[in-house]
Amino acid sequence: MQTLLEVADVSVTFDGFRAINNLSLSIGEPELRAVIGPNGAGKTTFMDIVTGKTRPDKGRVLWGERQVDLLKLSESQIAMAGIGRKFQKPTVFEDQSLRDNLAMALRNKRGPWSVLAWKASAQDRARIDELAEEVGLSERLDHRAGDLSHGQKQWLEIGMLLAQDPRLLLVDEPAAGMTPAEREHTTDLLKRAAQTRAVMVIEHDMEFIRRLDCRVTVLHEGSVLAEGSLAHVTKNQQVIDVYLGR
Amino acid sequence: MSDTPQSPAPQTSAPQRRFLRDNPSVPWFLGALAVFTLIVTLLSEGFGVGAISTNLVKVLGMTLCLCLIAVAMDVVWGYCGILSLGHFAFFGLGGYMIGMWLMYARTEIVIRDSLANATIPPTEPEVAEAVAAQIFGVVGTSDLPAIWMFAHSLPAQLALVVLVPGLLALVFGWLAFRSRVTGVYLSILTQAMTLALSLYLFQNDTGLRGNNGLSGLQNIPGFGHVPQAVISVWFLWASALALGGGYLLFAWVVSGKFGSVIRAIRDNEARVRFLGYNVEGYKLFVFTLTAVVSAIAGALYYPQAGIINPAEIAPIASIYLAVWVAIGGRGRLYGAVIGAASVSLLSSWLTGGGAPNVDLGFMRIVWTDWWLVLLGLGFVAVTLFFPKGIGGLFDYLVRRG
Repeated sequence: MQTLLEVADVSVTFDGFRAINNLSLSIGEPELRAVIGPNGAGKTTFMDIVTGKTRPDKGRVLWGERQVDLLKLSESQIAMAGIGRKFQKPTVFEDQSLRDNLAMALRNKRGPWSVLAWKASAQDRARIDELAEEVGLSERLDHRAGDLSHGQKQWLEIGMLLAQDPRLLLVDEPAAGMTPAEREHTTDLLKRAAQTRAVMVIEHDMEFIRRLDCRVTVLHEGSVLAEGSLAHVTKNQQVIDVYLGR
Repeated sequence: MSDTPQSPAPQTSAPQRRFLRDNPSVPWFLGALAVFTLIVTLLSEGFGVGAISTNLVKVLGMTLCLCLIAVAMDVVWGYCGILSLGHFAFFGLGGYMIGMWLMYARTEIVIRDSLANATIPPTEPEVAEAVAAQIFGVVGTSDLPAIWMFAHSLPAQLALVVLVPGLLALVFGWLAFRSRVTGVYLSILTQAMTLALSLYLFQNDTGLRGNNGLSGLQNIPGFGHVPQAVISVWFLWASALALGGGYLLFAWVVSGKFGSVIRAIRDNEARVRFLGYNVEGYKLFVFTLTAVVSAIAGALYYPQAGIINPAEIAPIASIYLAVWVAIGGRGRLYGAVIGAASVSLLSSWLTGGGAPNVDLGFMRIVWTDWWLVLLGLGFVAVTLFFPKGIGGLFDYLVRRG
């Protein structure tokens, strides 16, 4: 397993508040990683930095074998480099069918002219069917995404992520608002995805983390407090004090 | 929305079927446009029984051009979510570009005719000088400004109809979208653009005759012997052709994956960025394409109107455009056509003195003054009670049927 993403010494301040404080962490490929921490620990800000939404005040974010500096790329370039992101709130395009949502995410050329000329190839259609199958939404492919339940929207979004075929998936609270059965399905999806790529999951729900059964990074006040197996970090006294104890 | 799973259609016919499935309005619209054009032609003075005046034919032809710019506006606003309040600037520029040729070539013919009787035949520089003096006398100069250097050439000016507004849209859009100006700030910026252009053109020394504008555009050079009754029908056909072509073009653009992406940009542009799409590039593409179509609409409109001046591209014109699209129903191309046609025709009826004034006893409603009040009320009513606009009625009819 080699390092895919390396975040080194990153800091960012919002109006005097240090959201990220000399944060350093890295993830390999393939790997499944859970990130936990109390509110305001900087979990979402970390994802914002990696995906180009927020520029850090200092630090480096390096990507892949060629150590590409992600801080020099735009959001869309970072996405094309192979980083997919799922937001906390499901953000699918409600007005459009599941098929159209997935078609947009497929790993095809993204320029206006190529998109204008695009026609679904047999391969594209097969891939869409396969993805829908994978996230359990085959029956609803031609429905509006807005008609899906909350949990189904989360899955559709995971399906869109997989359609992008990213090397790193950043997943923000995928299980929020899901029923236990839906959670189980989501865990399976993520574990399966992590067999071939890097997956980083932000989650609050300890039961969900336990089921992911992976390395855990604990963030606190914008930096890494502890890292290791779930059993290891839950024994850490600092972690108990700032996060678990409350 | 069909719930039945798609049957595996034969590969060859799939795209066409999909296009018609996504755009059921296209054959209806093109059919209605053809029937309308045919009826007007048969009733016209130039080609038919003369039941409707040449003036009305011109109004209808101009209305078709307004429908075309409304369709463009619907694509940029209703589909891509960019509330541009400056598209009439492109419409006006298109009009100016064709107007320069119309005015130059026509003046040249008149000058040549009058000098032909002179004892010594005029030299080319003399003709050019006389033309310039004739056109620019009103602004106190007789030199032909540099921007008129291609005015003698129809192909060149036709190219400029597309190039000048297209380039303006490209540069303006690039600057605005690159800085990620969105929402109401972008709308204000587009208003500023059209206001600046309008104020600039009002100056006498900008080479486009200041507030006099360009006039006599209804006289098509080389067709002086053809009566306006015939020319008006030609322009009606050209306008109908442009509207039909524009409708087809935009229906194609907004269906399929490109339409999917721009509607996604409208609904959540940040999310589209994280899917790897260059949102700014798409906005620029749509903004520029719609600007070019607006310019073509303007180039067909002003020869029918006969005159163009800087007041045409005042900020209010672009706001009306947004009102038409909102009333007609944005996010559907035929909605824009319905809005533009009904509001602009109603406007010419009410402000043209055709509508009877209403005497309420305590006050008189004179429509030329009250028309704007009516339009304002209509806009508010549509926004509050029928957010889908007049076009939304079709959803209702389809559901019942």
